[in-house]
Amino acid sequence: MPIIFEQVTHIYGAGTPFEKEALSAVSFAIPDEAFVGIIGQTGSGKSTLVQHLNGLLKPTRGRIQVGDWQIEPSSRLPAEFRSNVGLVFQYPEHQLFEETVAKDVAFGPRNLGLSEEAALLRAKEALETVGLSYDELKDRSPFHLSGGQMRRVALAGVLAMQSKVLVLDEPTAGLDPAGRKEILEAIYRIHRERKLTTFLVTHSMEEASRYADFLLVMAEGKVVLQGTPAEVFAEEELLRHHALAVPQTVELIQQINASLPGEQQIPVTLFREEELQDYLLHRLRQTRAVIIPE
Amino acid sequence: MNLLQNFPIGQYVPGHSFIHRLDPRCKLLYVLIFAVLVFMANDGLSYAILALFTLLIMKGSSISYRYILRGLKPVWFLLALTFLLHVLMTKGGTVYLAWGWLTVEAEGVRQAVFISVRLALLALFSSLLTLTTSPLELADGLERLLHPLSRVGVPVHEIALMLTIALRFIPTLLDETDKIIKAQASRGIDFETGGLWKRLRNLVAIVVPLFVSAFRRAEELALAMEARGYRGGEGRTKLRQLRFTWRDLLAFGIALILFAVIGWVRR
Ligand SMILES: Nc1ncnc2c1ncn2[C@@H]1O[C@H](COP(=O)(O)OP(=O)(O)OP(=O)(O)O)[C@@H](O)[C@H]1O
Ligand SMILES: [Mg+2]
Repeated sequence: MPIIFEQVTHIYGAGTPFEKEALSAVSFAIPDEAFVGIIGQTGSGKSTLVQHLNGLLKPTRGRIQVGDWQIEPSSRLPAEFRSNVGLVFQYPEHQLFEETVAKDVAFGPRNLGLSEEAALLRAKEALETVGLSYDELKDRSPFHLSGGQMRRVALAGVLAMQSKVLVLDEPTAGLDPAGRKEILEAIYRIHRERKLTTFLVTHSMEEASRYADFLLVMAEGKVVLQGTPAEVFAEEELLRHHALAVPQTVELIQQINASLPGEQQIPVTLFREEELQDYLLHRLRQTRAVIIPE
Repeated sequence: MNLLQNFPIGQYVPGHSFIHRLDPRCKLLYVLIFAVLVFMANDGLSYAILALFTLLIMKGSSISYRYILRGLKPVWFLLALTFLLHVLMTKGGTVYLAWGWLTVEAEGVRQAVFISVRLALLALFSSLLTLTTSPLELADGLERLLHPLSRVGVPVHEIALMLTIALRFIPTLLDETDKIIKAQASRGIDFETGGLWKRLRNLVAIVVPLFVSAFRRAEELALAMEARGYRGGEGRTKLRQLRFTWRDLLAFGIALILFAVIGWVRR
């Protein structure tokens, strides 16, 4: 679903001493089926932004378009609107509540009006997508799982709703590196298979550069930079200014380039780890005699 | 949707005003003093004086009037009800309106106005206490004020600690509730429609995670307190000592003057 933000401002606690402008005139347009990375420091407004996508928060000023839906400050949204957008919150394991894992994951589909069997089928599918065994876990209490397992169950609970837009607010925070990668790969796979429009909030440039085809860089409630990863990483100065760094791959390329003559420069668009690896190996093989001065 | 923003109980607004810097014990006592003054007052003039005094304190707290008045939201209904009951039930004096057996009489109107003003003043004044005093200070002040009772076996320190923790965690739990409601709403819970049974089921989806998180927090807090050597109130010293200053002296002076004035003015 294409998504458009027009001058969206959100103010928390308007009219109180605790007033806080968390989003200031944010505008961007996301094409259908894009994978969008949202990066920015703590408190830059990322979570506030993504909660506008399924109408949990309404703009104080401005306009949002999600597919055919319009969200304006005074809009009243029907509950069915939320089923368009699956939102996984920061620390989603805190929302588990059912007696069994299967029931918990099936909760969303049940709310969409599916029958018990259909909902459980979706639960099974979703649990397997996130790398958990349905048969092993279905009758366990979600409160007796490890932190990582709880996270996956919660994630499955949203995936099971099979919405066309998927929004993930730091889904891998606090997980081990292998777990992070596994979860993100799973998300990327269904993003491709189901032709979803996906938003991934993350603190990690590596994660953002790996999966996203469009990046939104946020600072102090504003989108300070947006574009393809290549475009964004070219603005290293600006990123540094907002206490963000380019991914390690880009840094590596820059360091190598600094000591390479002009015609042998490595293109900075190779920020995906595998691509850079392939490229470097290819070049080494091609010209055994490539000289990389110390 | 945000609970914290709409939560009406006067939430502490940090600041450095004269009122903020009064000793919490002074402020706690002042609420009592003010309550006595309000019940002493019995005519228009004495109420006007007390209202003016409240207005002065509101000004002195440098919190916006609008925000303070929002704190009255939960008592509006009570005020209206009291007013209505008194207008209709209290008899005496000229009859202004008669409608069947319902009559509005002079004494009723007088009583209705006075009682509502009384309630409003008390609510305002006590909300000023919580608006300008941090929960920690409040509990500290209370502990010190009630300290003499510990001689007769009242667990003052424990009560104060419970109060501190409760006050400290109200905003946190509201925040948490807000987050859980949002998370479940994202999973398709519809709070607006459906029968009673469905709505109850929906409530479970909120209450269970909330309890789980409250217990987790409680456990973490207990652990953190033990890790820092908490052993109860006995022999415990405080980082921040409460001290009366010239401000509190001035405040008590003003209280005396108020007593004299109200005592003289009242009928
Ligand atoms: N419910 C709320 N009420 C008032 N202010 C809020 C609320 N939620 C967030 N804020 C404020 O809005 C700003 C943006 O918060 P937000 O949660 O969107 O940041 P974030 O980019 O998601 O940060 P993080 O990386 O830590 O998750 C912060 O300054 C925060 O204090
Ligand atoms: Mg966040």
